[in-house]
Amino acid sequence: MRHRYKLPLSFRPGLRCILRCKNFMHPIVWPWEKRLSLLRFLAALLVFSFLLLGVHSAYAESSLQSIRNRGVLVIGTDATYPPFELKTGDNFEGFDIDFGNEIGKEMGVPVRWDNINWDGIFAALQTNKFDLVISDVVITDKRKKEMAFSRPYFLSGQTIVRRKEDGRIRSSKDLPGKLVTVQQETTGQYAVEKLGLPAQQIRKFETMQDALLEVRNGRGDAAVGDLPALREMIRKGYPELETVGGIFVHENYAVVARRGEPELLAAVNEAIGKIMADGRYAHIYEKWIREPLPANYLVGLDKVSSQGTPIAEGATGSSFTIRWSLLRSVLPLLLQGALMTLWITFLGLLIGIPTGLIVALGRLSPFRPLSLLAIVFVETVRGTPLLLQIFAIYFVLPSLGLSLPQFVAAVVALSLNSAAYIAEIFRAGIQSIDKGQMEAARAVGMNSRQALRWVILPQTLRRVLPPLTNEAVALLKDSSLISIIGLSELMRVGREQASNSGSPITIVLALALLYLLMTLPLTYLVRRLEARWEPISRPRVRGVRSRQATS
Amino acid sequence: MQENIQPPILTVSNLHKKFGPSEVLKGVDMVMRQGEVVALIGASGSGKSTLLRCINRLETPTSGTIRFRDSEISGSDAGLDLNQVRREIGMVFQQFNLFPHLTALENVALAPRRVLGMAEQQAEKEARELLEQVRLGAKADSYPAELSGGQQQRVAIARALALRPALLLFDEPTSSLDPELVGEVLAVMRDLAREGRTMLVATHEMGFAREAASRVMFLDEGRVLEEGPPEQILEAPREERTRAFLARVLNR
Ligand SMILES: Nc1ncnc2c1ncn2[C@@H]1O[C@H](COP(=O)(O)OP(=O)(O)O)[C@@H](O)[C@H]1O
Ligand SMILES: [Mg+2]
Repeated sequence: MRHRYKLPLSFRPGLRCILRCKNFMHPIVWPWEKRLSLLRFLAALLVFSFLLLGVHSAYAESSLQSIRNRGVLVIGTDATYPPFELKTGDNFEGFDIDFGNEIGKEMGVPVRWDNINWDGIFAALQTNKFDLVISDVVITDKRKKEMAFSRPYFLSGQTIVRRKEDGRIRSSKDLPGKLVTVQQETTGQYAVEKLGLPAQQIRKFETMQDALLEVRNGRGDAAVGDLPALREMIRKGYPELETVGGIFVHENYAVVARRGEPELLAAVNEAIGKIMADGRYAHIYEKWIREPLPANYLVGLDKVSSQGTPIAEGATGSSFTIRWSLLRSVLPLLLQGALMTLWITFLGLLIGIPTGLIVALGRLSPFRPLSLLAIVFVETVRGTPLLLQIFAIYFVLPSLGLSLPQFVAAVVALSLNSAAYIAEIFRAGIQSIDKGQMEAARAVGMNSRQALRWVILPQTLRRVLPPLTNEAVALLKDSSLISIIGLSELMRVGREQASNSGSPITIVLALALLYLLMTLPLTYLVRRLEARWEPISRPRVRGVRSRQATS
Repeated sequence: MQENIQPPILTVSNLHKKFGPSEVLKGVDMVMRQGEVVALIGASGSGKSTLLRCINRLETPTSGTIRFRDSEISGSDAGLDLNQVRREIGMVFQQFNLFPHLTALENVALAPRRVLGMAEQQAEKEARELLEQVRLGAKADSYPAELSGGQQQRVAIARALALRPALLLFDEPTSSLDPELVGEVLAVMRDLAREGRTMLVATHEMGFAREAASRVMFLDEGRVLEEGPPEQILEAPREERTRAFLARVLNR
């Protein structure tokens, strides 16, 4: 079992995460997000929203009623997380599966399970691909704003592991001053950081097993992680360790429904109550968690039952309209992401343009080794995906002894990538300048550097401005690929918000507008400059022209 | 016409230029003295441009020598500063080759500013005077694209004059102009000739050669076939090929 309840897996940085993604070249699941042009983006957006609206109106009646009419309850799950849900052959099994099937029985309909990637699971719920989500989803305040949660059906959270009988560590209060191991970028790490431990006291590992190993070997004092997962691991392979102090950060699982379907939510809550009361819950628990149901466990579940969405509240609000309140709450985050996008794009261009110019001059140089070097650079960069370059710079360079921080790696990757394309733009630009220009410059006694500086490059610059802007716009959009190394640029922030909220259309629209806000001024500016420079970029026009274009 | 007794400013001896296998200049000999205006005539493809371009070293001669003032400039030895040589030899191109991103004034002032390091004000003042001289004082702030072909070529002449060259080369300066614009450019060139500038002018304008040139050279298939005072070459050429060429040009 993994810790996927704060950040979906693919949002987490780290080699481990990327290697584990089934298809790391496409860690992105939103259909609207593949290096898209603005136009395609908007078209997709339109289609997407019509689909949403269309499907929604078909289901506008009471959802519980339609489930009964249909004769099947459809539940979505990401079946990759034993012991809660996994798929063996064509069969779904696990705690959540047995539990969900019992809910179906209570409602008088069989259950059909739909397997889906975690990243898209809530969007699919909102678009009525299924009626409920049961996939060890943790209740969070943010998700509650957009979706309806049943009462919790499983108590989970962060707990501490120590060596057996290590009396120094009894609760989270004892952790400051100790060396604590965690699995990197999990809710365990965040929980320890929240306790106020300084960075040098937190040792982060690729896997939870490595973190436990460190404690067993005595190099760490305690490990922090998700309780059910740790129990399972200790039972299987770490007899020298034990959990202690129970849960100190609670993360409870609940069934997820859409808002605005109070009858369905009420039916689910009622079913959960019955399953808990008549012994079926204890049976499922013991089957999958492989230990007796702790005393007081059901009492504990009852105590937190108010964490679910109140039935009356769940009755309000539709998921499909544009949510101004959601927009207001996520806009600061999105703006921050946009700022990061602008900033890395700006730095990428700031370094990429002069570098590209140097590479172009190198490529045009009569000195053969230099021009060969430039060609190799340009063709390597242009012939490989940007994603691979980012990946190589961030994850592969460290093994050669050069470990760059995220931000630096991002800027380096974007700079090198844009430099290669910009080099080609400059090369074509320089070659497009009539050779009479160079001759005229040499004829008045300029050396080749002066001719380049005062005659060739000023004309080149004006001529390459349009393709250079295209490159800037492309780079701005491509900078979204930086999210692979975990930098919070606009696309990544938007994706997180979209999968956490119940109104992807709001987020998608906001993203589109933000990207347009960034790219349109650029294209506008260039059009102005082009008009201003028209006499220069179109040389040798006979006859007298008005001066307005140049003044 | 009186014998020019000035010392030679340019001496070309046995100049050969090959482009790959094809020999374009096949042993050119010529001398130019201070204040001379030499019209270089010859059929298209006879090597006029190549000769001019060898003289200001836009092309490297294959063999032979070129003496300009007191130095040998045909070789490629390290001591030879070609940029310095070109500063003293102005060139006007058939296609003008003005810098389109600069105004007329900036075109003229660029080399004094950037090559000689002249102060901006001084360079602009001199550039303005040169534009006045080619009768374009009013167009100082126009961009090349805003000027007619004739005006552009006159700016190009002012640009070539800006470094006060000892020798001016013209490569068919009116050949790409509409007929009605040829006159204004030739008028400026006549002014320069009258001032006593040393000019080597490749041209098909026989009228200009007759009135303004002190000497006419007929270039044929990479050799100087015949040279002499304009009236002799143009009215009574000795060579059959010269006669044939003139007949073709004058009957156009
Ligand atoms: N850079 C060059 N490479 C190869 N051949 C050239 C080059 N420049 C000129 N030529 C050839 O040399 C010959 C003379 O050209 P040119 O000097 O331009 O003659 P003109 O100016 O008298 O018309 C022509 O046949 C031309 O094709
Ligand atoms: Mg020619």
